[in-house]
Amino acid sequence: MARPRRLSEAEAYRFLALPSGAVTWSDMSGLSLLLRAARAAFPAGARQLRTGGLRSAYAKELFLGKMGKEEVFPYPEISNEELEEINQFVGPVEKFFSEEVDSKKIDQDAKIPPETLKGLKNLGLFGMQIPEEYGGLGLSNTMYARLGEITSLDGSIAVTLAAHQAIGLKGILIAGTDEQKAKYLPKLASGEHIAAFCLTEPGSGSDAASIQTRATMSEDGKSFLLNGSKIWISNGGLADIFTVFARTEFVDNDGAKKDKITALIVERAFGGVTNGKPEDKLGIRGSNTCEVHFENTKVPVENVIGEVGGGFKVAMNILNSGRFSMGSASAGMIKKLIEMTAEYACTRKQFNKKLSDFGLIQEKFTLLAVKAYVMESMAYLTAGMMDRPGLPDCSVEAAMVKVFSSEGAWICVSEALQVLGGLGYMKDYPYERYLRDSRILLIFEGTNEILRMYIALTGMQYAGKILTGKIKEMKKGNVGVLLEMFVNKFRDSMGRKVDLGLVGKDGVAHPSLEESGKKLEENIYYFGTTVEGLLRRFGKTIVDEQLVLKRVADISINLYAMTAAISRASRSISIGLRNHDHEVLLTNIFCTEAYFKNNYAMAELEKYAAENLDDSIKKVAQQVLEKRAYICSHPLERTF
Amino acid sequence: MNCVRKLLRAQGLSAGRGILRQAAPGRARPWLQGSSCAQCVWPVPVRCIRSSAALSRSELVPTARGDKEKDRGFRDGSLVPFDELFERAHEGDRTKAAFSRAVELFCQRDVRRRGHVEFINAALRKMPEFGVERDLDVYNKILDVFPKEVFVARNFIQRMFNHYPRQQECGIQVLEQMENYGIMPNKQTKFLLLQIFGEKSHPVRKYQRLMYWFPKFKHVNPYPVPAALPRDPVDLARISLQRIAADLSATVTVYQRPLTDISDAGKEITQPHIVGIQSPDQQELLARHNPAMPVFVEGPFPLWLKKTCVYYYILRGEPLPPEEKEEVIDSERNFYYPMHLDLDLDRDLWDDEEFYVDEVVEGPIFAMCMAGAGDQATLAKWILGLQQTNPILSQTPVVFHLTPGPREFQAASDSESGEEEIPQSWRMKQEL
Repeated sequence: MARPRRLSEAEAYRFLALPSGAVTWSDMSGLSLLLRAARAAFPAGARQLRTGGLRSAYAKELFLGKMGKEEVFPYPEISNEELEEINQFVGPVEKFFSEEVDSKKIDQDAKIPPETLKGLKNLGLFGMQIPEEYGGLGLSNTMYARLGEITSLDGSIAVTLAAHQAIGLKGILIAGTDEQKAKYLPKLASGEHIAAFCLTEPGSGSDAASIQTRATMSEDGKSFLLNGSKIWISNGGLADIFTVFARTEFVDNDGAKKDKITALIVERAFGGVTNGKPEDKLGIRGSNTCEVHFENTKVPVENVIGEVGGGFKVAMNILNSGRFSMGSASAGMIKKLIEMTAEYACTRKQFNKKLSDFGLIQEKFTLLAVKAYVMESMAYLTAGMMDRPGLPDCSVEAAMVKVFSSEGAWICVSEALQVLGGLGYMKDYPYERYLRDSRILLIFEGTNEILRMYIALTGMQYAGKILTGKIKEMKKGNVGVLLEMFVNKFRDSMGRKVDLGLVGKDGVAHPSLEESGKKLEENIYYFGTTVEGLLRRFGKTIVDEQLVLKRVADISINLYAMTAAISRASRSISIGLRNHDHEVLLTNIFCTEAYFKNNYAMAELEKYAAENLDDSIKKVAQQVLEKRAYICSHPLERTF
Repeated sequence: MNCVRKLLRAQGLSAGRGILRQAAPGRARPWLQGSSCAQCVWPVPVRCIRSSAALSRSELVPTARGDKEKDRGFRDGSLVPFDELFERAHEGDRTKAAFSRAVELFCQRDVRRRGHVEFINAALRKMPEFGVERDLDVYNKILDVFPKEVFVARNFIQRMFNHYPRQQECGIQVLEQMENYGIMPNKQTKFLLLQIFGEKSHPVRKYQRLMYWFPKFKHVNPYPVPAALPRDPVDLARISLQRIAADLSATVTVYQRPLTDISDAGKEITQPHIVGIQSPDQQELLARHNPAMPVFVEGPFPLWLKKTCVYYYILRGEPLPPEEKEEVIDSERNFYYPMHLDLDLDRDLWDDEEFYVDEVVEGPIFAMCMAGAGDQATLAKWILGLQQTNPILSQTPVVFHLTPGPREFQAASDSESGEEEIPQSWRMKQEL
């Protein structure tokens, strides 16, 4: 079952004796390779849209207080062949970024020089996830994440690449027909054509009702006439291929006419496509962001992605699938920052002591290492889950990775800058650029606020479906259910020992991580009861309780992060990776901190709005917003 | 504010003087003191004392007696000699300078300031006539009339037994008039009171209470009306409309400026002002209004800004039928997260923090305006102006439901208030 490997501790054997049914790592990687080959053999059109719900993934189960161990243990890995393959890519790309890319110049000129772009194209970075048959690299999600670590060293390039392939051409990739793929993907893969994703309009970003761009069917029914404007389009000035979402008239089954969103592939060559001048931005200045206008652009009917009127789903799937890579990208950036700041901290002296000897500086490095470790773990766990056979729906996990890593990146860059003090603030050093660049991470691909709503509501919906019956029985006053609840509450209050099978006998996590594992198990169990309590209290009106949902989302993100860290550290210890003791430290630090944060948030969720400050928070906001100003009198003000 | 004032007065009476009232049951309230003075003839101060004894019978006069009645009482007894002092002083216009001159005249007359209580009472009464009732300097000047240090209690017995009661009460009355006009005393007032009556005297106590409550109540109104309302009817309308609309996004539009012109034929043409307000929300509501249904112009409705009454008109629609009121959010509305959950669970009672509100069914209000004239022609101009920003209005029938309100309202309020200050609305009505 397990690989023949000598471990000094007898316990390690027990740990490796995985529960029956769990796939071991060796099986896993072999299987995934096989399946990737099989998938490549399929006609590309056979791949369905991911409409979700095909397989319940790990994060949703958390909302029920359950732990789908088999989803996250063991930590996914890739085969040796794949590893070799990816390392072949990594070397040249790393070399290119360290030698050819001048990030400072890109930032100053607000433009990526053509020769740099050419270099990127030559490396094949414009077609990382496009299948090999269309001239791309055909990388799996895991391998894509690995390359993302390096491309993120320059924010502008990372955004240009992401806008091109994570969202720009993703529509063709996941929902396009064979003809569309054959027509567009080869040129997009080579970078001859650049893609852009045109969704946002001046109205607002996430509201489909604000889309005013209209595609009108011509009389012969062979083409659409596209009219409208899109704003803040990344690559808008460079792109030749646009994925455009427009309103079209759609006839319902019952014959009623209705406006629906349709996704279209628009070539610049179709005519009538113009763009505004590039926007001047705070960060990622080298990436091209501008308005794009369409005026009577004639788009053939064949260029509809998915179905006419099915654009909403396409947009959602594109957005959901593009997020996971931000974890590895942020981690890559932080790893680089650690190198740079450590160099400084170990050489700079104050009061005859090195900076690195001061506790407050050491704390910052620990923070950086912990965050980078957890982000990485989450990113590769999610990527690994997405690479599994079947059509796993990992959109919640991907959103969790995005929220966690974007906020982590912002804090880490800020702390790294702080290590250098005044020097970090100077334009001579790259920290201020990193700070500016990383600010966008919290905003694009769905702001973190919006993603928190997504995470919490998706989980709530999943748990609510299952728990509705039970809660209804209880509200009706079913004695059996009430008694069960009472007994559960009583046992909880007596200090329940939660055992979800993560640690202890037959546990899947390494015994060195027992403490962290127990904390995670306890958190998961109580999170389940908390969610049940919330559903009982708020029912479907929880949609309007954003402050509650935010806490729910934060807890679930932490739980997923803890899981990822424990899973990865377990694997590292078991296979004896270098410095795995360091990983254990990092995992324990993170899990302990997250455990207390979770407990605090859950204690708040138990309370009513008057006690957990929600009421006061809302009231202050109301009073401020009513006057649209800070309403306190000045401290120097007098009344007599 | 009124009840606050009553509260203050009650405090002043009960807490401050409870003991004293027991000691001297025959004493009148300060405002009755005034009427007693009206009867006494200067310069024989002894008679005042006598008359105050007579007043003990009128203790039962209801306290709710209005100010007007009191005023009339004063006017009837117009033979009060101090009034003449003021009459003589003003010689033409009644101003602060004239008032000060009268006070100075009195002070120069007699080094002992004989009859100062009567003089001060007269002065307080005359203040509104001279338009100085809100002038702190003048109050301080009046207090300055009191001889200094004479009334300061020298021992605890004097302090206990209401030393120089008439003077103290006169001092309180000055402060009370300040209070009624909302004038906050300053350091100089305090200094004068200490000099005249000494520490722990009743006027000083009164001063302390004023200084305790006034600052607390200064900003108690979350929607303060500016102290001086603008004279320009357009500006006044702007303020009033913003006040009613209570929406910072609402924009005020002046559809027509007031104008008086002589035409070629020598006829006078007056053009009333039309000022309207509409918020973006109202604009959106109007845009969604079914043009087949009429909208109504209604009014005039009164709005009081302190002593000024202005009138406004509204543009409203019929209450919406219940099926149109419910807004269904399309499931394909939000690209990022579900807008509603597909669950069969409702909110628990404990978390239902909404109060039960019995809502009156009311139609949407689309816009409001104030105009210099309430006739249909003027208001039609307003609707014409609204059509510029609300194109749907040109297809919608507009029904005018105007009541002949303002003149009647005006007449009623006019006869009642015998104030010198002419209400703004009156002036506005004159323009019609």
